[in-house]
Amino acid sequence: MTPGFLGNWSLVFAFLFTVIGLGLAIGAWWAKDARYIVAGRRAAALAFVATLVAFGALEWALLTDDFSIIYTAMNHSTKSPTWVKFATLWAALQGSILLWALFQSLFTYLASRKLRDYWMSPAVLGTLFLIQTFFFVVLLFITNPFLPVPNPPADGPGPNPLLQNHWMMAVHPVLMYLGFVGMSVPFAYAVAAMISRRYQTWVATTRWWTLTAWGFLTAAILAGGWWSYEVLGWGGYWAWDPVENASFIPWLLATAFVHTALVQERRGFLKTWNFAYITLAFAATILGTFLTRSGVIQSVHAFSEGAVGPTFLGFLLLVLAVGFGLLARVGSEIRDIGSMGLVSREGLLLGSSVVFATMAFVVVLGTLFPLVVEAVSGDQVSVGAPFFNFSFAPLAVVMLLLMGAGPLLPWGRLDDYSRRALVVMLAVLAAGTLAGLVIGWTFGVSLTVGLFAYNVVALYYQVARRVAVWRKKSEGWGSAFAAYLQHSRRSAGGLLVHFGVVLAALAIAFSQAYRVDAQKTLRVGEQATIAGVPVKLLDLKAYDQRYRFAVEAPVEIDGLGVARPQLRYYPTSRTPLAGPSVRYTLFKDYYLILQAFDRQNGEWATIRLVITPMVFWLWVAGVITLVGVLMIVLPGGLPKPKEAEVGVVT
Amino acid sequence: MRWLVLLLFSALALAQPLPGNEPPPDLSPRVFEIAAKLRCPVCQGESIAESNAAISQESRRQIAEMLAAGKSEQEILDYFVARYGEWILYAPPKKGVNWLLWFAPALGVLIIALALWRYLVEARRREALLGIDDKTLEEIERRLEEE
Repeated sequence: MTPGFLGNWSLVFAFLFTVIGLGLAIGAWWAKDARYIVAGRRAAALAFVATLVAFGALEWALLTDDFSIIYTAMNHSTKSPTWVKFATLWAALQGSILLWALFQSLFTYLASRKLRDYWMSPAVLGTLFLIQTFFFVVLLFITNPFLPVPNPPADGPGPNPLLQNHWMMAVHPVLMYLGFVGMSVPFAYAVAAMISRRYQTWVATTRWWTLTAWGFLTAAILAGGWWSYEVLGWGGYWAWDPVENASFIPWLLATAFVHTALVQERRGFLKTWNFAYITLAFAATILGTFLTRSGVIQSVHAFSEGAVGPTFLGFLLLVLAVGFGLLARVGSEIRDIGSMGLVSREGLLLGSSVVFATMAFVVVLGTLFPLVVEAVSGDQVSVGAPFFNFSFAPLAVVMLLLMGAGPLLPWGRLDDYSRRALVVMLAVLAAGTLAGLVIGWTFGVSLTVGLFAYNVVALYYQVARRVAVWRKKSEGWGSAFAAYLQHSRRSAGGLLVHFGVVLAALAIAFSQAYRVDAQKTLRVGEQATIAGVPVKLLDLKAYDQRYRFAVEAPVEIDGLGVARPQLRYYPTSRTPLAGPSVRYTLFKDYYLILQAFDRQNGEWATIRLVITPMVFWLWVAGVITLVGVLMIVLPGGLPKPKEAEVGVVT
Repeated sequence: MRWLVLLLFSALALAQPLPGNEPPPDLSPRVFEIAAKLRCPVCQGESIAESNAAISQESRRQIAEMLAAGKSEQEILDYFVARYGEWILYAPPKKGVNWLLWFAPALGVLIIALALWRYLVEARRREALLGIDDKTLEEIERRLEEE
């Protein structure tokens, strides 16, 4: 048996089980018989196992240097280190789609185990199987990685050098696909709710799935940012590149949904909006793939172009047609009834939804504007960081304002406790901003510092109120706090996510405003200052690392030890790739890039030094956010007590 | 020996090596600030400050020279626009259709907020309708039947 044989047949079986599952889901709908659902769950499990075997077959080919199938022949090299060989599976198009299909079949199976509602289950399962069918059709008929190669080469080119440059590349795409695939379950629930006309209950279940996907997307975006930072060689973590934007759009729409879902759960408002958010969020995951895989947009991250562009465009249109087609019916059938005050928790949640929806709109517009202008007038324009920063700054300020006050206010009204807290928070906001201006920071940075303080005070008031309730029942403040964490783990997780985002905002404001970037040529042994930092070029060395050739310039930075920036030459790349070296400190990152070197005598090297404040805190903020998400989505925990049982502190 | 290997290798790897073996000029932070506003003409969506392609390194050198010659930022940007077209600017010039882009965020907030406001007004109006007393409701139903 060969990997090609095993891979092809397991894909065929995965496809068959998926189609059978789809048939069973339709049967369950038709016959209104739960036994079809049980059988559908088994089909989902079998499809997952078959896809896992296909995944194993491709890894088998990669790890044993089997060049008889097209994927290895085109993307693999015997010289790669083992971890690169393993991660090569998702370094190019066909393998990525296989990984995507693997996760899709996993999520279909997991979702099939968590079905609760007999009316909705057939449609949930059917939608997921339909999405899964799409991926197996693409895999089998358009981008099959297991196509046999008539004359297998002895060695291949290996994956794109940028992907071999950092271990994060083994992690980031996996997280991203988990996030993308994760959004398919909420979409399936939305479709099922609309088909079965059960417009209210789907929201609570879907919020869990959406938050899980949101966690993966957050982790993926952070991992991608860190990869850009350490690999792309210019010392930045975000560039408003189309591919980055493509991952950001579903993140923003999922964020909007997570907030409006709370309003629907509590008050029954915004039923149609929630359907729209979920449809758009899932469509955005497909849009991203279409944009980056079809070659319509230029990006530094577009590693795998191919013939799947039109197929994904068709699928995207189908998703939008199904979602909004059903939504038109919902819109004609239901009308939400009730009134709400805007200065209340639900009012501010709605405000946040406006902010996130606008952010998503701005990112879509900025990404697609060049395409539209070129299609209409033939002119070429570029939309980059200046436009996005200009439009995001005010939106971010409003978001940070709402974020502090929102969870503090009770549902439906403004009480004395939160009114007092709001006064203190606004005073702290003003004081923080003023202090920043006095220190001499820019207005944007000062305002962010003020907003950071405002949010920290808000968190204090929220936690203090809940802990004070437990204080009456427990020994001391410590055990009161522990009781609060046990009984309100999920809402505490939400607050922690908010804190992570506020910290990230602070890190972004400082790192954007006070980045310094300079370049200088040093002779070996020479001591000099770059951007005010004393440095010394110690040596210039060259290494042959078999799969690449590296030139290294060890630089001693005053008081921070030796940094070792490299230039790396890969056989498949015409230009060398930067191998930056970063010295992380708590408040400033020193980022060194070897820009050029004396190729004849090895006497000088040109070093670029980027000093960026607070970047470290961005990664800390990311970890805090993810811990918060875990606190929300993990099962278990004690039930939340009713307000009537424990009383409310005012 | 080591440098011979290196020389051979870089000759192979660099399809367009920089002319000669001269060190690139020292660059001040100002150069990178300006370079960040310009798109690298040969790259896949990177600015001249970000990219390490030969043409970006050359452009940074030009920016440094123009700064040394006392040119203003606007003059430098104009030079690149004259050479490559407005496509080179990452901030689309505020004119013509580009106004659509620059006004879109404000327009987006307005439209979404208006849609939400209308939705809330409608929901309240329906609540008010529901709030009518039974007598009036009976009256309405009676009149509807008469029609």
